[in-house]
Amino acid sequence: METETFLLNVGPVHPATHGVLRFKLRMDGETIRDCQIVVGYLHRGTEKLGEMKTYLQFIPYTDRLDYIAAMPNNYAYVRAVEELAGIEVPQRAEYIRVLVMELNRIINHLVMMGSLLLDLGGSTMIMYGFRERENALQLYESLCGARMTFNYIRPGGVREDLPDGFIPKLNEFIKDMEKRIVDYEELVNGNEIFLMRVKNIGVISAEEAINCGMTGPSMRGSGVDYDIRKEEPYSIYPDLDFKACMRREGDSLARYLVRLDEIRESMHILKQIVDAMPAGKNVNQKYGMAPNTGAPTAVTSYFPRIFTPPAGEVYCRIEAPKGELGFYVASDGTTKPYRVKIRSPSFCNLVALPKMVEGLKIADLIAVFGTIDIVLGDVDR
Amino acid sequence: MNSAEELKYLLPASVISVGVQTNKPLAVIKKEDILQVAEKVKEMGFDNLSVITGVDREDRIEVIYNFFSYKKKQNLVLKAILDRTSPSIDSVVSFWKVADWLERETYDLVGIKFNGHPNLKRILLPEGWMGHPLRKDYDMSIEQFVTVGEDGEDIVSTDGSNLLRGE
Amino acid sequence: MDPVTIDTTKIRTTKRKPETALEKLEDTGMINTILAAKDREGFILLTTIDQFINWGRLSSLWPVTSGLACCAIEMMAVSMAHHDIARFGMEVFRASPRQADLMFVAGTVTKRMAPRVKQLYEMMAEPKWVISVGSCANTGGPYHESYCVLKGVDNIIPVDVYIPGCPPRPEAWLYGIIQLRQKIKNEGYGVKWGLNK
Repeated sequence: METETFLLNVGPVHPATHGVLRFKLRMDGETIRDCQIVVGYLHRGTEKLGEMKTYLQFIPYTDRLDYIAAMPNNYAYVRAVEELAGIEVPQRAEYIRVLVMELNRIINHLVMMGSLLLDLGGSTMIMYGFRERENALQLYESLCGARMTFNYIRPGGVREDLPDGFIPKLNEFIKDMEKRIVDYEELVNGNEIFLMRVKNIGVISAEEAINCGMTGPSMRGSGVDYDIRKEEPYSIYPDLDFKACMRREGDSLARYLVRLDEIRESMHILKQIVDAMPAGKNVNQKYGMAPNTGAPTAVTSYFPRIFTPPAGEVYCRIEAPKGELGFYVASDGTTKPYRVKIRSPSFCNLVALPKMVEGLKIADLIAVFGTIDIVLGDVDR
Repeated sequence: MNSAEELKYLLPASVISVGVQTNKPLAVIKKEDILQVAEKVKEMGFDNLSVITGVDREDRIEVIYNFFSYKKKQNLVLKAILDRTSPSIDSVVSFWKVADWLERETYDLVGIKFNGHPNLKRILLPEGWMGHPLRKDYDMSIEQFVTVGEDGEDIVSTDGSNLLRGE
Repeated sequence: MDPVTIDTTKIRTTKRKPETALEKLEDTGMINTILAAKDREGFILLTTIDQFINWGRLSSLWPVTSGLACCAIEMMAVSMAHHDIARFGMEVFRASPRQADLMFVAGTVTKRMAPRVKQLYEMMAEPKWVISVGSCANTGGPYHESYCVLKGVDNIIPVDVYIPGCPPRPEAWLYGIIQLRQKIKNEGYGVKWGLNK
């Protein structure tokens, strides 16, 4: 019987594409023969805006790249500026920075697990995930006033010190989370329908993953034992004791389980930080802003109005929850950067997707795509 | 010796100078020899191509490659200088597959042509967009609008009358 | 005979708390009821056309999933258990615009996405409303000076309610929904159909 392939468009407006992403699939019945990804529907020109704003004014734009976990984006840009200008950061500020970044890792993985299960048809996990996320967002709100776009990490330290009562509430959150993560495992890991949909689907080998530029938990699900926090450590990670989570199989189930393990490791890191938090200043006094005492004329800022780092260029990479996030900043001695380039993990993780879904059914595309964990603000910038 | 000096030792004719990019070894190379250099760099164990950046300086365009080696835990930065009127360089997509999308993005925003790339089209901006936004002489005052044609593909023009509501 | 003096301070009018469903309906002030005579079944409702139609329209608006950027994550947070949007009848997010009557434009509308948003709006069936959420959809937001961002979604589709914020808190979101319900409540169909002539 004569058949021919047809073109199916999974359009920019779709409930399961986590944003505005478009697939052009060449289908032979239910099987995918070829997959072309079209991005750029959320391209907002962040890199050009980086040349039009000063160094301090660009920090809120970095929040809007990976908007689910915004602290690591802030931190990568601020660390690049600090390396360029040679600014030192006090110890307490580094501890606070790692605390907020690890908490962000936990809520990012909760959202990923929830939306993967929602795309596969089960709506319980996302309800649980967002319930935990609300508790963490209330912690962040007491800290810096915003739920999602924090603008908290600045060159020289952090914006405000931890408020009173933050550490007891954080301890409660960790205790709560330890009980709930057992719930998630019992609900999902043994579920036959879930296992049939993700086991041995979308396999990628270690060499292919490295060659295609995949980084982060998706790469560690294929057996590459590499975590920037351990190999090229930054901030206070040399003093912390944790392990990089890895699985060998390379299928979607392995990538899901790596993230579940990472939530546990992050909680372990948070407990160490709470025990070892030093006293001291939260910001380098030359660059900090005095706390607002409430009176309208009492706010004074030590941050220099004209902040000009020396001319040069720097590339700084960190381990964001989704992969390797890098900022390239070039300065020519004026108040505005000459060039800002963002190396985003989601953009590079998508290069491997057409190879992974060739020969699978269309329903498997959604399962594989959900485990790579992308967010469109990061892809399109 | 660090990795840039090792590269200069192995390929002395292609490396113009050796320096440092804040804390990573930097090697400035000739743009005609990029394929040879890429082969040597891959042999040296640099299997992770992090990012390809295009920078528009006033009199030249620079393209910068950042590499990392998982086995040896070392960094390497390559820089090639291209002329501003028609910047072009060979594509390294046969060595690292991630260069596929990174080079498309650099072509889209800075305007560097990569010879030998299988599919050099715009990726973040729609197909008919005029100009390369990250050049310093891009004119921000011209507003371009996008409409959708019959087959679902984008049509770009400076006239937005069939998209915007009249007041 | 002595005149009877009534101490008016001691008289209290008692308003009964509404118990049955019909009394609760009366209490909203939109519909008056008359209980029919004992030997007939059924009820007669006394109301105006405007109030009845508007009550039907505002009580259960179904949104279409058109979250574009960061505000879409707050849309998910609003529809989850903590700030529950199901109280307003809106927990059913329809994927197809033909089955929806409300569109939240949540997130930055770029030039490339603008014709698709306009097409989505035109595919919805009447009656339809649009809420523009977040500063990017209101006026272009922090990306106002960018080369590829539309400066506000009201350049392409008519908007009923604007919710400011970046991103707006879920409480602000719910306030915007309540404002939309007030707006629908005050719509006048009698005038539109010429019934006042």
